[in-house]
Parts: sequence; C-alpha cells; structure tokens
Amino acid sequence: MKARFYINPNLCTGCRTCELACSFAHSIGGKPGRSRIYPLSGGAPDLWVPVTCLQCDDAACAKSCLVDAITRNPETGAMDLDQEKCVRCMACVAACPFGCSLFDSSHHLVVKCDLCGGDPVCAHFCPTKALRFEPIRLARETA
Amino acid sequence: MVSLTINGKLVRADEGEMLLAVIEREGIDIPSTCNHKAVEPYGACRLCTVEITRKEWEGWKKHVTSCLYPVEEGLIVSTHTEQVIELRKTILDLLLARSPGAKYIQDLAAQFGIMQTSFEEVPDSDDCILCALCTRVCDQMGFHAISTVGRGHGKEVAPPLHEAPPDCVGCLACAQICPTNFIKYTDTGDTRTIWGKTFEMIRCEETGQPTITRAFAEYLSKHRDIPEDYFKLSDSSHRHETALSMGRVAQWERQEKV
Repeated sequence: MKARFYINPNLCTGCRTCELACSFAHSIGGKPGRSRIYPLSGGAPDLWVPVTCLQCDDAACAKSCLVDAITRNPETGAMDLDQEKCVRCMACVAACPFGCSLFDSSHHLVVKCDLCGGDPVCAHFCPTKALRFEPIRLARETA
Repeated sequence: MVSLTINGKLVRADEGEMLLAVIEREGIDIPSTCNHKAVEPYGACRLCTVEITRKEWEGWKKHVTSCLYPVEEGLIVSTHTEQVIELRKTILDLLLARSPGAKYIQDLAAQFGIMQTSFEEVPDSDDCILCALCTRVCDQMGFHAISTVGRGHGKEVAPPLHEAPPDCVGCLACAQICPTNFIKYTDTGDTRTIWGKTFEMIRCEETGQPTITRAFAEYLSKHRDIPEDYFKLSDSSHRHETALSMGRVAQWERQEKV
C-alpha cells in the first residue's frame, strides 16, 4: 500500500498532542524518547507548523552518513536510521537543512522520524486532522 | 540459503552471513565487545567463541569466533557448552587483569561470576581493551587518523608518531563507539580537543549553539556534496526556519480563502 503523510498548518492549533504521542511511541524501557515532530510558530498569530522529517528524495542525512546507517525503507518509504550502525558523529544532525535529525540526550541516540514503521502515531492522535496519513489511490485502481 | 543447527534448533541463514549475526537474530545472548554493525568483523575479543561440529566429523569439534565464521550448510553450533563458558570466563579474567577499572568489563565479568581477576593486575593499567573499534570506525569513515601501534605489552591505540593526527576532523566517532569510554575529549563550546589536536567548532549563526567542527563540515561539503550553507545553523534554528517558510505558504492559502 502506498500512503502519503499530509501536514496542513492551517488546521494545526499548536496543541502539541503529536509531540506527546511521538515521545511516548518512541520510549525505550519505559522512558519517553525525544519527539521527532515539533509544532512551531509559522510567523503569524494562530499559525502553527508541525515540523517533522520530510523523507527527502536526495536526503542530506543519508549523504552525510559516513557509515551508511541511514537508508530508505522500501516498505514505508521513510529514511530509516539503523541504531546499531549509528556511531553518533552528529553529521546528519548538522547536515539536515530542515533540522529534523535530532539528538536524544536522555537515551544518547541520534533519532529521526521513521513514520512509526508505516503507521504514524501522531496522525492517529491529531485532534484537528492537521496531520493525516492516508493511502494514495491511483487512478487505475479507482477505475 | 543454507540451513544449520544452533543449540538444537534448525535455522536458515543467507550465504556469506557470519555466525554471530545469525545467533543474535535467533535471540541467543552471547557476549561480544569488539562487534559493531558499522564496521567489518575483527575477532579481537574472542568472547563470541562458540563450539562447532558436523555430522561427518564423528564427534570432533572445534571452537571458532562466531563473528568471523561464515555460515555453512549442515553446521551444528552450540553457544553455551561448559567448555565455551569456561573459555569466556578465562578471557574476561584476563581482560579484568588488563583493565581492572573499566566498568563495562567489570559488569560483563560479574555476569560470569568473576568479581576479581585471578591473574596479576597489569601495572599502570588503563581502560583500553584493544578491541580496535575506534580505529576501525575511523577507517570505515574514511579518515584513517588513528591506528593500533606497537606489539604485545606495548600495543596501544594512538595517532601516527604520537603527534596530533593530520587526518582527524574531530567527529568523535571513536570516543562515542569506545565501549569503556577510554577515549577522552574536551568541548569548550568554541573548541574541541581530541588526540592532542584542537578544532574550531561551528556555532549556530542565530543561537550560538556549537554543532560540529569546521574541519568535519568542510570534509562533508567536499566529499559528500552537502552545501556549506547547511552547516550555518543548528538543528533547532533549522526547524524554526522550516516552520517560517512553510508558514508563508500556509498564509497564502488563508488569504485565498478570505
């Protein structure tokens, strides 16, 4: 199934439920992880933009990784970071032009959005549907 | 695909895979200190030793380091025989004599019931267990700044000629990967010092937060085709920039609706 992750800033209220959901979804041993999504001010009153990894085609994080720990997951389409391979050199954290490769200091890990393995938890919890994860219906399938 | 037996269970593995990878995938816990997915197997610590045999060997068996042994059809592997455990205990006993202060080795040895080494402790011991993860990760990343030097008692990890390594860029991968935290560095915010070499840190143009060393950023721009501008800001400033530029697009949509 092909799916797309939609972010609509005009529906976001900045409630940061996605941040909580992400943090808890990525907890290790009962300890919440660092959120991979951040609703930030979009430069106008009442305008919030949930900033998260855009899973770029020509991703700077993967290009900067000298041990090839960041690769495209063919099933989910996300750029996945292999924690067992990562050597925490911080190259991807510095290289990402969107700032979406993060360092989780409580777990001492470099983390990034992995679309929760194909079913993003943030989209489930977003009360206003500013975040949506929906299958793409191709024209030839609907016909 | 090849099939082999591990602790009496028939398992399948890809050709060319190493035994340790298959054992770990099966959820069997065996110690290994010098193994890391980012680098090639090396066989320094010998803790992942297992016993192998085959039907046609008629009772003969041998001990091999599983991280370096490729899987074979019909192999019969035992990971926790009495002899293998005895072997691991001896290795940990020796490692404890070499690095009595290393907490990582103390904890691992305690799992095998060794609280104190039965050998004489090495005079002026340090926490380096010579697993060579640091030198291998440096080679893997393409810097080749440090290596093991000397032999026997005098073997240690050091930059060439014990001088500030010219190829080091201060990425800290060696210090991060070190299982015993032996490799020391200092970060002052403006500078970072490791292996006797001092590097200038890049500071975020907006918040002043230090990110990576200038030498590392230059290496990534030159060899990995990352635009130099990407390194001007820290990750949090990048996120705010992203929010502002996406916010501008969202505002056009708002105006259209009005």
